[in-house]
Amino acid sequence: MKRFPQTVWYAFGLVSVLFMISPLAIVMFFSFTGNRHATLPAGGFTFDWYRELAANPDFWPALTNSLIVVGFVGLISMVIGTLAALALVKLRPGLAGGISNLLAFPLMLPPLVLALALVTSFSWIGAPLGLWTVILSHLVFTQPFVILIVTAQMQGFDESLIECSRDLGASPWQSFSTIVLPIIRATLIGATLIAMSISLDDFVITFFTIGGGLTLSTLIWGMLRTSLDPSINALGTLILFFTLGASTLALRITNYRG
Amino acid sequence: MLAPSLLVVSALFLLPMAWFFVLSFWRLRSYRLYPDFSFRNYAVAWTEYLDAAVFTLWMSLTVAAITLVIAYAMAFFIRFRAGRFSGAVLLITLATLFGGYLVKIYAWKTILGSTGILNQFLLGTGLVSEPVSWLLYSPFAIIISLTHFLLPFAVLPIYASLRRIDERHIEAARDLGASNHRAFRDIILPQSESGIFVAFTIAFLVTAGDYVTPTLVGGSSTFMVGTFIQSQFVNRMNTPLGSALSFGMLASCLVILLIARALLRACLRVR
Repeated sequence: MKRFPQTVWYAFGLVSVLFMISPLAIVMFFSFTGNRHATLPAGGFTFDWYRELAANPDFWPALTNSLIVVGFVGLISMVIGTLAALALVKLRPGLAGGISNLLAFPLMLPPLVLALALVTSFSWIGAPLGLWTVILSHLVFTQPFVILIVTAQMQGFDESLIECSRDLGASPWQSFSTIVLPIIRATLIGATLIAMSISLDDFVITFFTIGGGLTLSTLIWGMLRTSLDPSINALGTLILFFTLGASTLALRITNYRG
Repeated sequence: MLAPSLLVVSALFLLPMAWFFVLSFWRLRSYRLYPDFSFRNYAVAWTEYLDAAVFTLWMSLTVAAITLVIAYAMAFFIRFRAGRFSGAVLLITLATLFGGYLVKIYAWKTILGSTGILNQFLLGTGLVSEPVSWLLYSPFAIIISLTHFLLPFAVLPIYASLRRIDERHIEAARDLGASNHRAFRDIILPQSESGIFVAFTIAFLVTAGDYVTPTLVGGSSTFMVGTFIQSQFVNRMNTPLGSALSFGMLASCLVILLIARALLRACLRVR
């Protein structure tokens, strides 16, 4: 068998990248054009759909709720994920691998099953559903990403730096805050941004664990079910802007590549 | 220091899953749950939802197979053939991983609808004289939306396993007279087995458990098990049956994945 010519590979690469991004580009494009439906020619440039979105009485509470959830999920998963990652790199590889697999196991299940297990358990212990149950539930599938990213960074970490600082009389906390933290700071910010993107993007688990109330993703679900309202394009663009922007930024600063 | 993470995974994952599993053996009578140990819910799930389950597993296999083939080619491209573009393609793949689940489905709705962009293009170029109606609200729409959504999830594990391959092994094989095909078959493919299996597993399980995509783009006659599981909770409050359906589905998926793994092992064995 002969090798495919390089041009065939480039053509394939181009087509697959277009396949991945063009649906997203289409949503962004039509959020700025005048037509009610996604038709060409597209009509003039307009911010009408963003104005319509801002006038939607559900939008602002949903945005507030999303910001609360995303903020807490990002912060908590960063702290507990980093703690776990720092502990994991010290364990022997076999045990660390086993624990990482256990912590990442929730990612392997369909979100629907996880959501239903959570909501039946909350009702079993009589916990009222609300934003805090959403936050707790999100931690299950955001912490594995933080752990993965921070562990990847810590594997290249020079342990002797910590030993040096301890030999020179630094307390464990001092050596963490003055040696480890500055080195891994960018990674932590990146991991937090990724956790926030995943949390913002989640629909299934939010939908079941929120009880009443709306977040941006459950708002978009409601809009998708009821009408083909062009302000969905505007809301979709906002969500894409935050999730794609945050994760691209995060990937740049952490240099994490899978 | 592991305590908080382990607490989260046990209190919010292991325990809820165990409780949810226990519920599948309970009984529902006039909207109240009674403790029991019966396999009745599983029997009901088997008799009433077998068709939907077979269809769902079939769809999951289709989506997983298509996603796997495209993702492998993409990961191979990024690792061996993209040259200076590899970083950019990888970054795009990673960035689309983390955003826009509902937005992506909505985008496919605007592309595939009867007045959608694809139909306008087909009509405009004169390739068809009437809008193609089976593009949206059909199994085809589910397959294309889910393949698009799952592609980055599948590319990354395969890429991770391809990245670990030592290029000297490939060069050595070539020096010893192996053709490109032979080097691919006996060096690259066997060493990417773990990535292939993880990619296949993710694509298969996500499709098997999805109800959002079938609801939004699958139309009124396409029912997947996820839709029924969801409606047991939302419309009928029948938690035990929903739970039995979930675990029945997970068990079937496990069996299929074990078979897939055995087949993969057998196929990728170096001759």
